[in-house]
Amino acid sequence: MIAVTKTLPERIRVRVRDTGQASRLAVSRLDALAVAGLVAAAYLAGYLWSTDRLSVRAGLGGSVTVVDEPLARAFERTGQLQFEPVALVDLWVVRLLVSPIDVLVGATIAGLVGLNLALAYLALVQPRSCGLGAGAGAAASVPALLSGTVCCAPVIVIALGVQVSGTLLTVLPWLLPLGVVLLLGSLVYVGGLVDTENGRRVS
Amino acid sequence: MDPTRRGLLATAAAVTTASLAGCVGDTDAIGPYEPDGESGGATPEEMTASPDEDAVAETAIPIADDQLPVSYSLETLRGEVIDGGVPQDGIPSIDDPVFEPVADVGDRFRADDPVFGVVREGEARVYPQSILVHHEIVNDEIGGESVAVTYCPLTGTAMGFERSGVEFGVSGNLVNSNLVMYDREDESMWPQMLGTAIEGPLEAASLREFPVHWSTWSDWQAAYPESTVLTEDTGYVRDYDDDPYGMYNPSSGYYREDSDPIFEPLRTDDDEPPKRMVLGARPPEGPLSIDHETLADERLLEIDHGDATLLAVHDRSIDVGHLYRNPDGETFELEDDRLVDADGDSYEPGEAPLKRVYVYDAMWFAWTGFYPDSAHFG
Repeated sequence: MIAVTKTLPERIRVRVRDTGQASRLAVSRLDALAVAGLVAAAYLAGYLWSTDRLSVRAGLGGSVTVVDEPLARAFERTGQLQFEPVALVDLWVVRLLVSPIDVLVGATIAGLVGLNLALAYLALVQPRSCGLGAGAGAAASVPALLSGTVCCAPVIVIALGVQVSGTLLTVLPWLLPLGVVLLLGSLVYVGGLVDTENGRRVS
Repeated sequence: MDPTRRGLLATAAAVTTASLAGCVGDTDAIGPYEPDGESGGATPEEMTASPDEDAVAETAIPIADDQLPVSYSLETLRGEVIDGGVPQDGIPSIDDPVFEPVADVGDRFRADDPVFGVVREGEARVYPQSILVHHEIVNDEIGGESVAVTYCPLTGTAMGFERSGVEFGVSGNLVNSNLVMYDREDESMWPQMLGTAIEGPLEAASLREFPVHWSTWSDWQAAYPESTVLTEDTGYVRDYDDDPYGMYNPSSGYYREDSDPIFEPLRTDDDEPPKRMVLGARPPEGPLSIDHETLADERLLEIDHGDATLLAVHDRSIDVGHLYRNPDGETFELEDDRLVDADGDSYEPGEAPLKRVYVYDAMWFAWTGFYPDSAHFG
């Protein structure tokens, strides 16, 4: 038998293809889809809460306030990757500042986190004969958790009351893009670990 | 931000902090303030620059006849400017403020909620801290004069500036934790506490200031019931019930007296806790600060400062301090919250027959950072 050594571009192409297949598997299985959906929803809520777009308190009543010219307001930046809210929605115990672009950014990251953990879940529930242990799933979840903390780093700095140096100030704006890159990296990593042939099951 | 969110984020961040150890300037700063006797890095050096006369002649912005003192060179200050994490106007100023009479406010505020009051040209205005913390600058008109009422939550400073139709905005930058404003005429950069441009066509020029009084809702509305109050109709939607830095009522989060500033001050002086409120003044004899609580306790302080004799008076009705030059050493006493001179004539604490010295409240770390050679009366 002749061993075939793949070139780097080929290996990347194969890995991306495997990740695509694993992602399709994740959304085609009800259990994995449930993991992805629940995690993404929880993450999005956490993202909006930690960035002061969502709060929970008593006695709010029900009302909707929309700014004048919401389309123009929606594209005004308030932070590195934060934009003006265009509406304030009070739903008795929930107050939501609706910034369409913030929701889009949060939903994108939440989707990536959900998919990551769904793949990690698949890797965990697959039989050990596939060569996977619990460590693979845990390793895959680390970038997801990291991204969860970096998304709101400036808020955390205020909450913690630490003095920050110029270095950290330089780094802060890059933490969210870094989190997204890490999530994509971990998606490709764990996507390659999922056995898409044996992973299918009737749900 | 509600305390629950703050606590949870702080707990969650504790883990992250370890990984940021190389980036965080002073990890020991987490939690309550502990004096360490260290000073910040900037070297004080009296500003010697003077403003460009042509630029001063051409600008519509009212420029003060005399430069305000600045304890650092403009180059040093420009080098200390940091990105506050928001773009220019990312914290939007209020440019079309809407007001309502005190009587229409209802139960929107609690008695002890902080407000900033202005009395000018016979008109009294009140600006709730809960709104200004989200906007920092109100481009307003009071008594027919256009003015900017400004507030920096990180240094606890509320100050007024004349503007003659030119709007001011939030640059997104900070120096010594203080708001750096920019003017929308030619974009000179004005740190609020200095009132002096450090960059741009008007660099080294100083603005004309007027007092903005830090008070409470109950005190202000009792003293000035005819006031009009800034409403939440700001043109933006914000959660005005939520202060992202903490709470003043009661004091917590960033505003806690013994908590550290987020950004390293220009200079550090541990004689007082970092966020303790002082009354700062910049008379020609040199900057000085007066401990707010001490003044509130003593009510009347005679201060020898350089060659000058000054008189500090606490106005209990709105819990603010006033400072006067008292060159002849006139004797005053407080009777029934009124100043009484040797002839038996009485005056409101804010209307003494003496030349007033402009003062504003500030957090201790911010004052001593900008004015490290300041005399302190505490």
